[in-house]
Amino acid sequence: MSDGINRRRFLKVLGVTGGGAAAISACGIGPEPTRKLIPYLVAPEGQIPGTATIYASTCRECAAGCGIHVRVREGHAVKIEGNAESPVNRGRLCARGQAALQGLYNPDRVRTPLARGADGHLAPITWDEALQRLDEQVRGASEQGIVFLTGHDTGAMDELVDEWLASIGGRRVRYEPFAYEALREGNRLAFGSADVPHYDLAAAKYVLSFGADFLDTWLDPVAFQNAFARARAFEAGRAVSPARLVYVGPRLPVTGMNADEWLAAVPGTEGKLALALAHVIARDGLAPASADAGRLADLLADHAPAAVAAETGVPAAVIERVARDFARSGAPLAVAGGMAAHYPNGAGIVAAVNVLNHVAGASGKTVRHGAALPAEAAGRYADMAELTGDLADGAVALLLVRGANPAHSLSGAFIQALDKARFVVSFATTLDETTAAADLVLPDLHPLEQWNDSRPRPGLTALQQPVMQPVFADCRAAGDVLLGLLGRPGGFRAHLEARWRERHRRAGSRESFDAFWMAALQRGGLYDGGEGAARAARLTADPAALRAALEAGIGGPVEQPMCVVFPHPVLHDGRGADKPWLQELPDPVSKIAWHAWVEVHPDTAAAWGVVSGDVVLLTSPAGAVRAPVWVTPSVRPGTVAVPTGQGHVASGRYARDRSFNAFTLLADAPTAWGGRAFAARVTVARTGDHRRLASVEGNSRPHGKGSVETLGLAAAAALGAADHPFHHEETPEYAREAAEHWADAQYRKTELGNYAGDQPRWGLAVDLTRCTGCSACVTACYAENNIATVGEELLTRGREMSWLRIERYWLTDDHGTPQGAVSSLMMCQQCGNAPCEPVCPVYAAYHTPDGLNGQVYNRCVGTRYCANNCPYKVRYFNWYNYAEVGGAWDAFPDPLHLLLNPDVTVREKGVMEKCTFCVQRIRGAQNTARLEDRTVRDGEIVPACAQTCPSEAIVFGDLNDPQSRVSVMAGDPRGYHVLAGLNTKPAVTYLARVMHADLGAPPPAEH
Amino acid sequence: MITLRQRTRVGVLWCALAAGRLLAAQAPSPATPPAAPATPFVAPVIDDTAGLAGPRQPIFFRHDIHAGQDEIPCQYCHNTVAVSSEPGMPSLQTCMGCHLIISGTTASHRAEITKVRTAWSERKAPEWLRVFWLPQFARFPHQRHIKALGQDGCTLCHGDVARMPQIAQPKESTLLMGWCIRCHVERAVSRDCTVCHY
Amino acid sequence: MTAPSAPPSVPAAPARVTYDYVTRTIARTLGDPSRGYYLLLGAAVGLLSIGIVCLLFMLRYGLGLAGYSHPVYWAVFITCFVFWVGIAHSGTLISAILFLFRSGWRTAVYRTAEAMTVFAVMTAGLFPLIHIGRQWYFYWLIPYPNDSGLWPNFKSPLIWDEFAIGTYFTVSTCFLILGLIPDVAAVRDLATGWRRKLYDITALGWRGSNEEWRHFTRGYLYLAALATPLVLSVHSVVSWDFAMAIVPGWHATIFAPYFVAGAIYSGVAMVITLLVPIRRLFSLEVLITEHHFENLAKLCLLTGMIVGYAYTAEYFIAWFGGNPYERAAFWYRAFGPYWWASWTMIICNAFLPQLLWFKKIRTNITALFVLSIFVNIGMWFERFVIIVVSLAGEPYSPWTNGGYNPTWADWGVMAGSFGWFFMWFLLFVKNFPAVSIAEVKEVLAPPQAGRH
Repeated sequence: MSDGINRRRFLKVLGVTGGGAAAISACGIGPEPTRKLIPYLVAPEGQIPGTATIYASTCRECAAGCGIHVRVREGHAVKIEGNAESPVNRGRLCARGQAALQGLYNPDRVRTPLARGADGHLAPITWDEALQRLDEQVRGASEQGIVFLTGHDTGAMDELVDEWLASIGGRRVRYEPFAYEALREGNRLAFGSADVPHYDLAAAKYVLSFGADFLDTWLDPVAFQNAFARARAFEAGRAVSPARLVYVGPRLPVTGMNADEWLAAVPGTEGKLALALAHVIARDGLAPASADAGRLADLLADHAPAAVAAETGVPAAVIERVARDFARSGAPLAVAGGMAAHYPNGAGIVAAVNVLNHVAGASGKTVRHGAALPAEAAGRYADMAELTGDLADGAVALLLVRGANPAHSLSGAFIQALDKARFVVSFATTLDETTAAADLVLPDLHPLEQWNDSRPRPGLTALQQPVMQPVFADCRAAGDVLLGLLGRPGGFRAHLEARWRERHRRAGSRESFDAFWMAALQRGGLYDGGEGAARAARLTADPAALRAALEAGIGGPVEQPMCVVFPHPVLHDGRGADKPWLQELPDPVSKIAWHAWVEVHPDTAAAWGVVSGDVVLLTSPAGAVRAPVWVTPSVRPGTVAVPTGQGHVASGRYARDRSFNAFTLLADAPTAWGGRAFAARVTVARTGDHRRLASVEGNSRPHGKGSVETLGLAAAAALGAADHPFHHEETPEYAREAAEHWADAQYRKTELGNYAGDQPRWGLAVDLTRCTGCSACVTACYAENNIATVGEELLTRGREMSWLRIERYWLTDDHGTPQGAVSSLMMCQQCGNAPCEPVCPVYAAYHTPDGLNGQVYNRCVGTRYCANNCPYKVRYFNWYNYAEVGGAWDAFPDPLHLLLNPDVTVREKGVMEKCTFCVQRIRGAQNTARLEDRTVRDGEIVPACAQTCPSEAIVFGDLNDPQSRVSVMAGDPRGYHVLAGLNTKPAVTYLARVMHADLGAPPPAEH
Repeated sequence: MITLRQRTRVGVLWCALAAGRLLAAQAPSPATPPAAPATPFVAPVIDDTAGLAGPRQPIFFRHDIHAGQDEIPCQYCHNTVAVSSEPGMPSLQTCMGCHLIISGTTASHRAEITKVRTAWSERKAPEWLRVFWLPQFARFPHQRHIKALGQDGCTLCHGDVARMPQIAQPKESTLLMGWCIRCHVERAVSRDCTVCHY
Repeated sequence: MTAPSAPPSVPAAPARVTYDYVTRTIARTLGDPSRGYYLLLGAAVGLLSIGIVCLLFMLRYGLGLAGYSHPVYWAVFITCFVFWVGIAHSGTLISAILFLFRSGWRTAVYRTAEAMTVFAVMTAGLFPLIHIGRQWYFYWLIPYPNDSGLWPNFKSPLIWDEFAIGTYFTVSTCFLILGLIPDVAAVRDLATGWRRKLYDITALGWRGSNEEWRHFTRGYLYLAALATPLVLSVHSVVSWDFAMAIVPGWHATIFAPYFVAGAIYSGVAMVITLLVPIRRLFSLEVLITEHHFENLAKLCLLTGMIVGYAYTAEYFIAWFGGNPYERAAFWYRAFGPYWWASWTMIICNAFLPQLLWFKKIRTNITALFVLSIFVNIGMWFERFVIIVVSLAGEPYSPWTNGGYNPTWADWGVMAGSFGWFFMWFLLFVKNFPAVSIAEVKEVLAPPQAGRH
């Protein structure tokens, strides 16, 4: 056990009978069991050492409020998985949710209260001192301006803050960099209500996304992804054809990557395009005309396709076609947000898209009003701007911050203003930019350590409970602190329970409160509130106002390229940057990790004379950044795009001083509709510097072929159950004899001791039509299998350890413009006829009776012959000792090592490692089954990747059991094996991506 | 798995029995022939503990008294062995379940039991030294082995604990791979590497 | 190469080379070392220590210090391994095969060649141990009975290697020692001090009786016959490390003969590289004549042509076979980022040796020396291209993009291997006859009666 947290406390947390108790040993394959056995004083009820205890809670990494199950071993949270009972995420989880653990065990967490001393530095103090100071400040500042700044929050804690503020006469400000404000304002403009309706993607047949990255960063990604996967999934013989997705926007995000068509409209003209589509529908009467729409007749009349074609850059013919298909699809759905909502005319664009929905008859069907998402809780940017003003005027005596980091996302103006505040208090888990500037820092508990509830959706209350003792004893829940200030007895838990007693009383159910409470805790909340009554939305938009709202444009000279700033898929507004898993996770589109980049179209790049890796200087009126170029066809010519998330000056070792902060390019001034514009005109200057992009993208050798297969919809629909369009490759002539010989050998094996009798053959099936490339599975794999993060330097040297990589191949049209992409997982294929096995001189790589390519870490001597001989290149080598405590390459600095899965060996240097279908889960399930004298049931074993996949694209099971789901999928006509021609007999079957016919089959090489 | 409450109850019961047994054992009863198989095992009185095999534990806990003389079943203390890969170390509360009442007959016993009680009152659990140690890359699911070998299967690897004043690793139980394999061969059970190594 | 002018004690070359002259000249090579010799020895030991330091660093921190990446899992270390095994070849060829063919010219050079063989194998043998990830478990590769009932995987070409190299080392060592006996006996009688003791032991009490000579020649003949097949087997087995894998650029039936030819080629080149300086250093011009070098050169030309043919065949089959992956691999090899390596290899190994068609060059020692250096470089690059470039250009999976950037660790260990080799070689030539006294005498005209 290394220092850092002292031994006794560590063991108190741990409780302990060994199994993965101690720290990782520097030599040998750790973590080794302790040499000492420290028993509990009192054994915790229901906890069985060596067996995971599951706690239901709620994910607080974003506002979606997914239900989670936290696996706790010997008093430690070791894995987070989706809670199947939650209607939000149906047991699925995204990469950010998976990585919450690294927020909990983050080595850079604030461990004690800090106060700014005379020397201007933050120094540790005791809680008594801290509370005393806080109390003084509050009393001193009352009536002189107390402001409490929080992020998106709903529920008990949220209301407690208001309650406290009311008691002392303070003001509340909520701030989220991405607050869906344009969405709310657009709705207000169109319907007179700012409510965010419920979008029923599962029911949609034709989805038109105007900049909304609903699969990844918009509103409710996991739920949307799950729903969209259902809508798009191809099932042989299904009457209705899979949903079609058309993406409108200046660059392709994950949602765009999964589109069937990309309309790269000129940034800011999306609204006009929407109206043009509405125009066609209304003109040709493609949908039952609605009374409200009549009021907008003139507006629509002015937006004939021909009229807007030039301005939007989308040909009239295309507009006509899309409009027709959209309206005729039966269940059209247009969503606007994300990028398209980040222009000065964002609200207008959203309103225009609402009009389109209305005209196409989507409102009330695929768009359900009345069931409002609580987006209001994300606050208004105008309030934030006002606060900045007040701060600058010294009108704020005491500023308290919790769950918001404006010092990172707002430019210098705010930071200067912050200095003017007389006293700044921050309730924080990590020392982010805002906290670093605070005068008093009160270490808050991580959401996984504290009580709370929230309302992620109407009629749905999610509960949050501590899953383990606080990692750091000296942290305190902000709720407890506030209750203390209010002079209330009992802690926040009592407060929460009291609220629930009230709720229970109101519900007036017959069951006792304890039963009610336990049930809620076990389920993770109250899920059966129902959506509430849907109401018909009237289109009350005032044409003139709408017209005006659409006109507002980005200032600056038009000849300058437009720079759009988009939220990073996993680092988001930067709050993910302190988690190595998220830093190391390649961006699903660019495949770049550990740093930010600027996307430039090949033509533009050629004109500027820059290539990928060249560092350019982007200068906007607001600020300037130095950004490495990534040349890609996935951004429209003449436009550049940069992600947020990087460029921290604080926030811990993993985030600090990394790349650039895209927010600095953005003006602070609110737009006409109140929100912030996320686009700016920039000048681009070459700096002459060049850096190697930390990208895992494949090189341009033309051999994507055989890795991914696609089928036109017509072709796929025509497939009979017996057809196998791809299987002809299975055993080529020249390998036939070898294959037969191999078959005999396998048969003879069943006589041999270990291999005798019936054995399962574990297999995996991946439906590429469902897979969106979101990469949640990758992070889940890191979490489950103790995979080391290697950092930027080693990643650029091609030493990433990710057992599961996601390969992205653009689907291009005849002009070579990508219309979307196919993403495919590549992990160990568990070949039945594996090239890696015979070459291993020590049997570390060998074939298990149940058909896995076993990898015995403790037997491996590291000749690396297996990796050379693996055609899929899915074996990864420990070049260094990534688990050496305090070592130069330590991937689990104390206390991050506490999240190591005790069921999986931590590999030492010089050892080869790879995916084994989560063999620890297989063995675990077999142990349980054996105790119950039964065989393992289909679906009982779920590998981490399959468990988390939001679109349910991955299915695991026994290929020898014809009834198992995986067998059925493996027999699907769309099924194929990667590099089947090599006769490796993989256990992983891929189901070809089905595409709408009008999209050319991909030359997968082009990327 | 049995809850604490139940266990404490059973505990008290055991204490009563044990106490009775102890008295019976101490009362000189020439009627019973000493060599008769019926004779209950009586743990020897040990004056010199230095000579005992195995590491010296913070508290001189005697399995031969608890498991041997008092015939407390292994799973009374190691209560998760049949359901989990980990046998489970008894919490101090489990000890106190009996030693609230039993305070020992001889001076040496009393001394040791006092240690337990102080540990309990001071809320500081004793740090037992691990005797049977496997590296982390070798998985040993206790529950599977109990299931296969029965409730008394423990002795196969741990030796006749019920006769050990102090726990020591039996010479024949090397805990090395060859030793595991031999047993797996005899019983014709899996010898697949990934059954234990992953 | 600092070759000092020969010491005055050199006997003037007589009109006719006599037995006595031979003995004295060769015995003199064992005399007190010159400054040049010490410089060379120092350099060798210096290189060796650099290698050792690098190796220690890698043991402590891991192979990451070297330039490996995903997917280039084998690189300079395996390249050196194959290179040194190759060097080891000509030794047995010259001493055994040429002996069986009774080609007289070998006598002057075979001792050097044999010594080279033994030391080269000693060097090669180290690399498989250096390059594995957990060097401290190297013994798991050796079959030995153990409690866990674990054995190495005899299906793995790496295990075949182990045996091939082991056998080759044993036999060639015996061969060298056996050949030494009469010569050691000859110099024993001139030696004093600790050397006297050394020779006493190694000469195995040789007295030069007819009896002994008859046994000696027989034994030598049989051992030669035994060693001959090894010349073919060893490098064939080594080649299977690659040919047995499915990596395009490795997976080829031509590999065994291709590697054997290449090995002999590089071996002969190395013999030249070593003989030239020794000849100068010990002024053995009279015994090691241009005639010898010319024959070596011819051997070089022949094997060089075979190697050149192999290159052509490889590319032809890659195109003719029609396997897209093969084609891609070879296209990458010739025109990918490592084109310079491939072309260095082809120019040094296939084109430059064509100069040997000219007798002028075959008999020009300096030219031969320079040429042999080029061939050594070329042959090193041949292995580099086959191993590193094939892996880097692995066409099956387009999403593996790690290149190979060698680091100080790679070069350090490689330099160390040269140091190790030359250290042993230099020590050998100073302490044992570098040219076979007995066999040189065999090919001289016997002295006329009465003149002695």
